[in-house]
Amino acid sequence: MKRFCLALVMVLLVTSAAAAQQIRIGGHGGNDTIIVEEMIELFVRPALEGTGITVQYEPVADDYQRFIVNALSAGTAPDLFYMDIFWAGSLIRSGAVEPLNDYLEKSTVLKAEDFIPSLVDAFTVDGQVYGIPKDFNTLALFYNKDLFDYAGVEYPSNDDTWDTLYEKLEKVASIDPDIYGLALQPEFARFGALAYAAGFTPFNAEGKTDLSDPAFVDAFKWYTGMAETGVGVMPADISQGWGGGALASEQVAAALEGAWIIGALKGDAPNLQYGATLMPKHPETGQRGNLIFTVAWGMNAASPNKDAAFRVLEILTSEEVQQWVLERGLAIPSREALADNPYFQQDHAEAHANHVVFLGASDGNVLPYSFGTYGGDWMQPIDQALAAVMSKQATVEEALQQAQAQLDALMGR
Amino acid sequence: MRRVSAGRLGEKLAPYVLLAPFLFTLIVFFGYAFVRVVYFSFTNYDLFSKPEWVGLRNYLNIFRDPEFTRAMKNSLTFMVVVTAAQTMIALLLALFLNRKMRGIKFFRAAYYMPSVASSVVVTLIFIWFFQRRGVLNYVITRFQEYQVILALFVLLAAALQFVLVAWEKLRRRPVAIFEPSFLLLSLLVSFMIVFGLVRFGFILPREVAPVDIIWFNTTKTWPDFFGALAFPIPLGAIMLFNIWTTAPTFMLLYLAGLQDIPGELYEAAAVDGAEGWHMFWKITVPQLKPITFLVVTMGLIGTLQMFDQVAILGSQAPRSSTITLAYYIYTNLFPSSASPRVGMASAAAMFLALLTLVIVYAQRKVLGGENDA
Repeated sequence: MKRFCLALVMVLLVTSAAAAQQIRIGGHGGNDTIIVEEMIELFVRPALEGTGITVQYEPVADDYQRFIVNALSAGTAPDLFYMDIFWAGSLIRSGAVEPLNDYLEKSTVLKAEDFIPSLVDAFTVDGQVYGIPKDFNTLALFYNKDLFDYAGVEYPSNDDTWDTLYEKLEKVASIDPDIYGLALQPEFARFGALAYAAGFTPFNAEGKTDLSDPAFVDAFKWYTGMAETGVGVMPADISQGWGGGALASEQVAAALEGAWIIGALKGDAPNLQYGATLMPKHPETGQRGNLIFTVAWGMNAASPNKDAAFRVLEILTSEEVQQWVLERGLAIPSREALADNPYFQQDHAEAHANHVVFLGASDGNVLPYSFGTYGGDWMQPIDQALAAVMSKQATVEEALQQAQAQLDALMGR
Repeated sequence: MRRVSAGRLGEKLAPYVLLAPFLFTLIVFFGYAFVRVVYFSFTNYDLFSKPEWVGLRNYLNIFRDPEFTRAMKNSLTFMVVVTAAQTMIALLLALFLNRKMRGIKFFRAAYYMPSVASSVVVTLIFIWFFQRRGVLNYVITRFQEYQVILALFVLLAAALQFVLVAWEKLRRRPVAIFEPSFLLLSLLVSFMIVFGLVRFGFILPREVAPVDIIWFNTTKTWPDFFGALAFPIPLGAIMLFNIWTTAPTFMLLYLAGLQDIPGELYEAAAVDGAEGWHMFWKITVPQLKPITFLVVTMGLIGTLQMFDQVAILGSQAPRSSTITLAYYIYTNLFPSSASPRVGMASAAAMFLALLTLVIVYAQRKVLGGENDA
């Protein structure tokens, strides 16, 4: 009996020692599961050989944000996890995310300066870096080359302003009543880039949102006006869920989307000849606008193996891993050094589109896709206003007034 | 001696041992959770930092929050409309399916389908139904196009039936108004005449613009003349759908209740010369009172806790148009990209629990429980 107990204790000790070095990584499910698993197999495991550190990926299929908030507060969260810019702020303020400055100082391979500054800034609070951006996305104008050829219209280009783009889209839309120029999602996540181009900022000097800002109204009228003239259409009205679906249906000549559309088009419309170009410039300011969507790796402040976790983080954000991810056409790297990557110069639509999205981050009025502590609640009134005007339920003035009232109520709460 | 007392002890303990698994889950997942929620409702807590005691402030704050007031209004409207409609429809369905006819088992199963299917899956299908270019708007458009033709068909069939029945009556033969063989004949003839008229172009479907009711993405309310009591259209869509999925469950209860009513009551009433309508009000409805009490109580609780369909509809409809109390609690606990407001959520949850209790109690007073049935 005694011997048995001793053996049991030994077994427990050995397993707990091994478990002490296991680094758990939390991230999205779906496609990410395959990608991260392969990445771990190809890069992380070989590099960690002999250190006793093992790595396990724990994908979360749905509602990742809620999972991570719950897991962090309950003390069951993975050691490293995805952190979306959209909600990272509130998580960081809660103190559940480990500040990384001390680790970065000691590290010989991972330096915050190597990453695109606007991305790192998005995860920096009070001078402390809380997340290492793993990749990012911006919006670009994706268009169907065949429809433009058929209409005999020049492809959209980087020189296009809102006016010249409108003319081109109008000509394509005139081919047939069932063909539209632009997919108009009633979402700030698309329209916002245009508002920024016109010079709008979500929060003014007093920290309030002013929808009567002429820049906002200008962009709002341009965007919703296309629904009225039939130059554009809301994807839902042609039974599509988003711009990518609308573009794949070949009923719409162009859509404002990020590089995520590439994979979707490959699946839904493999024969579609598409091109991508930078967002159009505002005719007066001459600026483009864009939103940055990015996800970073964060570290659990309550992790028992922080040094080992940082070691894994170094590998996950290393140049060779990012190069591999880029070449697979999966995401756009967050390291600055990869800007002149030969991959971007390749002569095919995918590489070109990725390059356009990469350039979008540093051209014009670019702001991260996050809205302080308000998040989705801030966008909702604007999304509703867009939908109300484009479905002819309200005039621009009515819709904006209502949205402003809702925003005031939100901010006064 | 010892053995006997041990046996007695075992006998005394047995029920508790058998109850233990249930009691355990009740205490851990309900009792403990409830105590925590009561405590949290008096604190300011974000899941990470220590809860901070704020007294009654959360309760005051929820009443100051316009979103809460809207949620309460939506929940109460939803409760009244859905409970009333589903109870009546369930009773009607049960009456219909309680008859002896060929293939009744098939119909019983078919009507029960919406309740068996997963709520999440059915909601996803229902979202497609209510799209702007969805099935529902399409059917309404078609109906408007063929309105005149349909009306003509029905009128013609009714006229034919009337003539046939009148003819028989004139010849002093006993005949029911809905004599099946005549009904079939009149429908068939009427169909052939109308079909011929349409086929040869004497009457044509009306030209109507496609119906374009926006069911989800709208803040409009209906009906207009109700003023402040009108409900948002997206909530109306959820109501329609919710009635459709829940009525069959209650129909099953009513069906069981109907089969318990002794046949002698109807026979005695028939001897006394009672007609169908009288029998329904004087026998069926009073006999079903305990079932009605159960159905209404379950309906009230279910509708007040309405959550899943609102959550799945998500951003397809403006939040203010669909938010219910249960969804309000959820959005406060997991707000999009803000810190969890556990205190507010707990206070709202306490309020919802209290409200449910009061309404069910009031209902018991009005309808009376099983005891005095």
